[in-house]
Amino acid sequence: MTLDYDGIAAMLRGGAALVRENQDLLSRLDSVGGDGDHGATMTRAMGCLEAVITADTTRDIKSLLHAVGWAILGVDGGAVGPLLGGFFMAMAPAAQGKTTLDAAELATVFEAGLAGVLKQTKARPGDKTMVDALQPAVDALRSAADAAATVHDALERAADAAEQGAKSTEGLQARFGRAKNIKEQSIGSPDAGATSISLLFRGFSRSVG
Amino acid sequence: MAMKKLINQPEALVSELLEGFAIAHEKKVRMEGSNLVVRAHPKATDKVALVTLGGSGHEPALSGFVGEGMLDISVPGEIFAAPGPPRVLEALRKANRDAGTLFVVLNHAGDVLSANLAMDMAKTEGLKVESVLTHEDISGGPRNEPEERRGLVGCLPVIKVAGAAAEMGKSLEECKAIAERMESNMATLALAVSGATHPSTGGVIAEIPDDIMVVGMGQHGEAGGGTQSLKSADETTDIMLTALIDDLTLKSGDNVLVLINGVGSTTLMELYIVLRRVKQGLAEKNITLARSLVGQYLTVQEMGGFQLCIARMDEELLALWDAPCDSPALTVK
Repeated sequence: MTLDYDGIAAMLRGGAALVRENQDLLSRLDSVGGDGDHGATMTRAMGCLEAVITADTTRDIKSLLHAVGWAILGVDGGAVGPLLGGFFMAMAPAAQGKTTLDAAELATVFEAGLAGVLKQTKARPGDKTMVDALQPAVDALRSAADAAATVHDALERAADAAEQGAKSTEGLQARFGRAKNIKEQSIGSPDAGATSISLLFRGFSRSVG
Repeated sequence: MAMKKLINQPEALVSELLEGFAIAHEKKVRMEGSNLVVRAHPKATDKVALVTLGGSGHEPALSGFVGEGMLDISVPGEIFAAPGPPRVLEALRKANRDAGTLFVVLNHAGDVLSANLAMDMAKTEGLKVESVLTHEDISGGPRNEPEERRGLVGCLPVIKVAGAAAEMGKSLEECKAIAERMESNMATLALAVSGATHPSTGGVIAEIPDDIMVVGMGQHGEAGGGTQSLKSADETTDIMLTALIDDLTLKSGDNVLVLINGVGSTTLMELYIVLRRVKQGLAEKNITLARSLVGQYLTVQEMGGFQLCIARMDEELLALWDAPCDSPALTVK
């Protein structure tokens, strides 16, 4: 099974919908160390994503990912725009010339996105950021693809890994972003950005048959 | 803490505040493009341009520093959130000229991410732009770990002296060197005595009990005392001034600029009392208070407290500080 342009669009919409449903949870988590606007920012970002999909007439996966990334970059929301927008922007070149993506190709595209994020931030797993969910999700996607999993199963394992990664941030002390200023007070609550990524991947996996 | 603010729809907050800001200061600034704040009377294009970016909700910063002898363009973001790279890139394109652009960035995660992406894109397009990062908050970490230090009100002296240098026709390299010299010779410590609410979410920004004050944000006792019992103006000033003097290793005979920035609800009355004690404390160490500036320049809504910024000045920096400027938040004649 592979994902074509419509499959990718549906996947992105599925992720956006689940993030949007959890807006209040995300803002609540952000109010621990940030300023409590992560849910609102992510909702704006997801709104941009959906608007781009609706407006896109290219029928080209690479162009769609690029347009989604550029639109999210434009969201004035602190680190979310550059990181999440940069994620999709960096995915785009890896989809060059592809009309469909199988699990292995999807893993390659997501790996390119992760590399883009890691170029932007010095945060690594353990620093209590979105990377704590993103890195394991992409790793799990790759392992599943290597084990010949279907696209759906690979995305499901990625979502499981992201969820676990987000949960693991509960015991971590923030070292990046505004939350690092509260130091050990950040322990005990999961990171809002990691939770967003976990929801995004869960939404991706649910919307891919 | 219940939110008690005169606003309309939270989503319209930033655009409405900018609209009012532009009306209030129509002789000095105007809005262009995607809500960029630019000078009403643009600088000659053979002179270096100054651009900055930053979240809203800190008025008059940062757009209040746009004007003659100061910034050419400010890119305001959402409340407490950096603008995205596309608008920053738009500003860098608009500012672009042969003389080049100096891009002033305050060290905050979102600002730096957005600025770096926009800088990369600008350089790919062949724009001539150099950046300077301000990170003078000594509570973030020791001087040899500048990345841990946030950019606070020290952006104002940096913009002031670099803006004056640009107005005089100095080159991009010279303007950058002046900005960096100012930056590396200043130190700031923030005091918070009461919290504030986030104007668009209504959430509490910091909850500080009545009998408590917080020096810096450091929770490990470094560079200040962190959370402690509320003290008098003089005792508080002494704690902060000592930490700043140590950090800057100020010596007898040094000349300093003292900037006391009220962050919201602390009154001018209190800030003047603090300044008087700062002058006494400096005099005890034979350090000269060469210039001072007291007022609200970079605020955090109705938060109570102030930022104390001390900068070691040389003759050139003093001359640039004294040079004329005309912006909504600061005018020197």
